[in-house]
Amino acid sequence: MTVTPAVIEEEAPTKKGLSFKFPPEETEMGIIAGIIGAVIVIFTGLPAVIKGVGLILVLLWGMDSVRKTSKYGLGTGVPSIGVLSTGYGVVGALMGLAVAEYGRVGQLYPAVLLGVIVMGVIGLVSGVISNSEKFIAMKIPRLERGMMELGMAGTLAILLECSIVTGSLNFNAVVNQVMNTGIIALMFIFNCFAMLHPYNACLGPDERRERTRMCAVEISGLICILLGFAQLALGTSPYGPLDAVSMIVFGAIVFAVFFWKFIKACMDEAYETVGTGMIKTIE
Amino acid sequence: MPIEVVLLFAWMLVIAFLAFIACTFEDLESDMGSQSNPNSQVQLAAQVGQINRFFNKAISGEPLSNAMYCVTAGTIAWILLMQLEPLVPGEEWKAAVLAIPIGVLGAVVINIIFSTTSHCGRTAAMKRFEQPIYLDVLYGHLMPIGAHAFMTTFCITCIAYIQSNIGTLSGNPALDHPFALPLLGFIWGITVGSIGSSTGDVHYGTEREFQDRPFGEGKRVVYHGKITRYASCGIRTQRDIAGFCAKFGGPCTGMTFGLIILFTNWTTLVGMQLGGFLPNLPAFTAIGDMAAIWTIVLGLLIVAALAVGHLIFVKWVRKKCGPFVGE
Repeated sequence: MTVTPAVIEEEAPTKKGLSFKFPPEETEMGIIAGIIGAVIVIFTGLPAVIKGVGLILVLLWGMDSVRKTSKYGLGTGVPSIGVLSTGYGVVGALMGLAVAEYGRVGQLYPAVLLGVIVMGVIGLVSGVISNSEKFIAMKIPRLERGMMELGMAGTLAILLECSIVTGSLNFNAVVNQVMNTGIIALMFIFNCFAMLHPYNACLGPDERRERTRMCAVEISGLICILLGFAQLALGTSPYGPLDAVSMIVFGAIVFAVFFWKFIKACMDEAYETVGTGMIKTIE
Repeated sequence: MPIEVVLLFAWMLVIAFLAFIACTFEDLESDMGSQSNPNSQVQLAAQVGQINRFFNKAISGEPLSNAMYCVTAGTIAWILLMQLEPLVPGEEWKAAVLAIPIGVLGAVVINIIFSTTSHCGRTAAMKRFEQPIYLDVLYGHLMPIGAHAFMTTFCITCIAYIQSNIGTLSGNPALDHPFALPLLGFIWGITVGSIGSSTGDVHYGTEREFQDRPFGEGKRVVYHGKITRYASCGIRTQRDIAGFCAKFGGPCTGMTFGLIILFTNWTTLVGMQLGGFLPNLPAFTAIGDMAAIWTIVLGLLIVAALAVGHLIFVKWVRKKCGPFVGE
């Protein structure tokens, strides 16, 4: 039996795929998400919906970094990169929370960004060590930058989620309401999935960045719904239950819109979408 | 023997039984949706030209995805328990009867969402290999996947609930687990996924794919995708595979997990009993060391017995089926 390589020449696209081009470049995405995420983390008194917007941006950035880092692999390493990022995130968030009280002005916690910076440095160092000839010598292009962004995005995401659930970044409040209640497990696993699932699910030779990003936004919407419920149950918001309800509604709208867009994009861009059919016969 | 100790042993047996059911369905779910280990066959098949009607459920590995379902179920159940338990003082189990299934339903909805996105995404990314999205395959597999995931997540959430209340249930609240329900769900989810990922998979692994080959021989990569194409009658889908694996692979995986849970918990409880730790926990003294020593000794005895049993079994198999190819 001979198996002919089924690669066909790329023809001019007849159908223009659904696009989601905000912001277009990976670097622009990193800068925008990093700055907006950092500002929203510092201002803990903001309503949950605004923190949710920041969370979506940060998770998009994280997904971009996972894509960048694991693009050169076979696909088996994608989940571990996502988990690595969230692992950085938990350590960095704890470090940031431990120093949060220094320089606090009312509901402003600028010192938590120390955790983000330290995790960026640790990510950079581990990226350099992995790529360096003297140590592991993996020689993956742009690994250093990818690892640095993984650490920073993971830390910002965990800090934002803590800030959504507890309404502040006080260390004792976070320990009582996030760690002791077990919500940290929910945050950990969904952070992982928001970063690793889009690229893992869209993996293949015809993966397209815009389509993958839609999946990331969709999962971020799911996280917003779940965190809204957790916030409602704990009753920690300074704005009362309306804050949590608006978070749930926001998450549901984001999820519904982007789930529909993602599935439509997949069905449009697949080789063919058929109701049913036989498989291609091979002689 | 005091009734508290008997009840503790009884709940331990219930946990082991639930673990057996959970891991059986976990293995069948991963076969149904081709997750983790079986997924490599489905992913590879289209790339070597074997267009198939399989469901490509690539939600990371099994440990992580099961942790996600169990954490979701645990969190929703925990939120509901917090609201419902004050309504039925003295009969908290009534709240659990309502809260756990609702939490698990939430987890199943999340499972179905992730399954849909991964199947559509992966198939769309294989455009150049001419693999179409068959809508009947997509719709037809979502409910079976969800149903199997419901059983797994339900059993695991029940185990986490029993464990976090085991002292209250057996009459000594000091023995309650210190971890919260979502955290226990996370740990149990990772565990059930790891066992399901490493054991079982008889369809894609050994039994069916290599059944016409000499004992122990591998197969050329180009033939690997063929397993996704034709069944005994007609085109193969994963609904046939679940039926095939339910006869041996699933229960085998379940037994592995159930035995692990049984042996670890049994040794711990017997050690506590022999060390004088039950039915009432004394203040921390040297007596606690005795409990740990008994547990470790019993565990070592079990490991030794299992090792000897495996050795005898492998010798018998090699004698019966002949030497490995190349030996």
